[in-house]
Amino acid sequence: MNALLAPNDYKSPLKPIWCPGCGDYGVVQALYRALSAVGRPPHEIAFISGIGCSSRIPGYTTAYGFNTVHGRALPIAQGVKLANPDLLVIVAGGDGDGFSIGGGHVPHAIRRNVDLTYLVMDNQVYGLTKGQLSPTSPRGLRTVTSPMGSLEQPINPLLTVLASGAGFVAQATPADMPGMTALIEEAIRYPGFSFVNIQSPCITFGEEEQQLKAHKARMKPLASLGHDPANQLAALDLARAYGTEIYTGVFYRNPSPPPTYDALVRERQAELQRGERRPRARVLDAFLKG
Amino acid sequence: MTPVTGIDFARITLRDALDLAVLIEEEARDRYVEFAEQLAAHATPEVADFFARMARIEERHRAELLERRNILFGSARSTLERRQIFDVEAPGYEEARAFMGVRQALETVLAAEVKAHAFFNEALPRVKDPELKALFKELRDEEVHHQDLVKSQLARCPEKPDDSEAYADDPVAQ
Repeated sequence: MNALLAPNDYKSPLKPIWCPGCGDYGVVQALYRALSAVGRPPHEIAFISGIGCSSRIPGYTTAYGFNTVHGRALPIAQGVKLANPDLLVIVAGGDGDGFSIGGGHVPHAIRRNVDLTYLVMDNQVYGLTKGQLSPTSPRGLRTVTSPMGSLEQPINPLLTVLASGAGFVAQATPADMPGMTALIEEAIRYPGFSFVNIQSPCITFGEEEQQLKAHKARMKPLASLGHDPANQLAALDLARAYGTEIYTGVFYRNPSPPPTYDALVRERQAELQRGERRPRARVLDAFLKG
Repeated sequence: MTPVTGIDFARITLRDALDLAVLIEEEARDRYVEFAEQLAAHATPEVADFFARMARIEERHRAELLERRNILFGSARSTLERRQIFDVEAPGYEEARAFMGVRQALETVLAAEVKAHAFFNEALPRVKDPELKALFKELRDEEVHHQDLVKSQLARCPEKPDDSEAYADDPVAQ
């Protein structure tokens, strides 16, 4: 274990301004360690985020970063990856950014299978804007926009991404730092779209039972349940417990990852360069020349 | 959940053990620096100063251990890395709170020292080499000494109700 880069090599001089006690401090620390284990230098990494507390992450790393607009991290990340496929592209954001404002982008990024790692810091509330209902807020939650309790059924991020066909789906919590670090590393190394739902509680607007101390008591590692991550149906079944159980670990890892979109694009470009496929302009030429 | 990964205590060398101890102090130092910065940025200056002082203390421990290590092993490169240890003596991130009081901060430090003591105590039976055993005992007992220091400060610190929740907004429609 002699990585050239230490975790602190990925830490930028910018100081996080999250509330003291926020789960995101643990997430960014786990990220530094996972990146150190992967060993790619910061100039080969790009962090793309949307808007929200967790979307501040690009600023706290020494990698390239793009703090984009609300909900649009995934389309921009796909563009970055296609423009420069050699970059390691990591997308970071919150549950609102990913599953409300940007919800329409999630299934399409998954079905394209662009080689991205998508880390969602799921705190079940809009924290940055002072505690409104988010798409993963549990039914009955009292917030500034649901003073008598939410009437809505929350989105289940794990089921959503599994049903869309994601090849790597995991869940972590900063209450288990070694576990979270290992999962982020595994997600980064997975060849294709990988998703980690991180239960990162909001210390200011979150509920007591969602805080890290409660996670430590409640979390259940999937490995201890004997779950086989190659079993997609079992993964779907376990994912249904989102909101009641805190399962940590890999829900699903496709044992035979299909080619990524970026690899297929490269293949297509190579075919075009070798003249094995006719570009559209030359198809037209063929018609005109009869 | 183990706070260290990839370390086999049955096969650890004296140099590894000293490197591990240095990393543990380094992690604690860095966490207290972070806590000091967080609380300074969140209008809790008295506790920010306290955590900054804790960071200096942990740095002193780290420097002492590093000097000892270097006397014995020179500049030989460590085989251990920071990413192998997780919150051994460093308090968890969840322990910091805006507007926390000095007493609460002292309790956080005390819990961290108890945690570090438990770590060395649990590792001890797995260590075989007598010289290493002696080092681990020394490190464990050092944590007891640190606990006593914190307890004496706690005894001098007046009981003060935690008012960190008093500043949180009630849920009201906007």
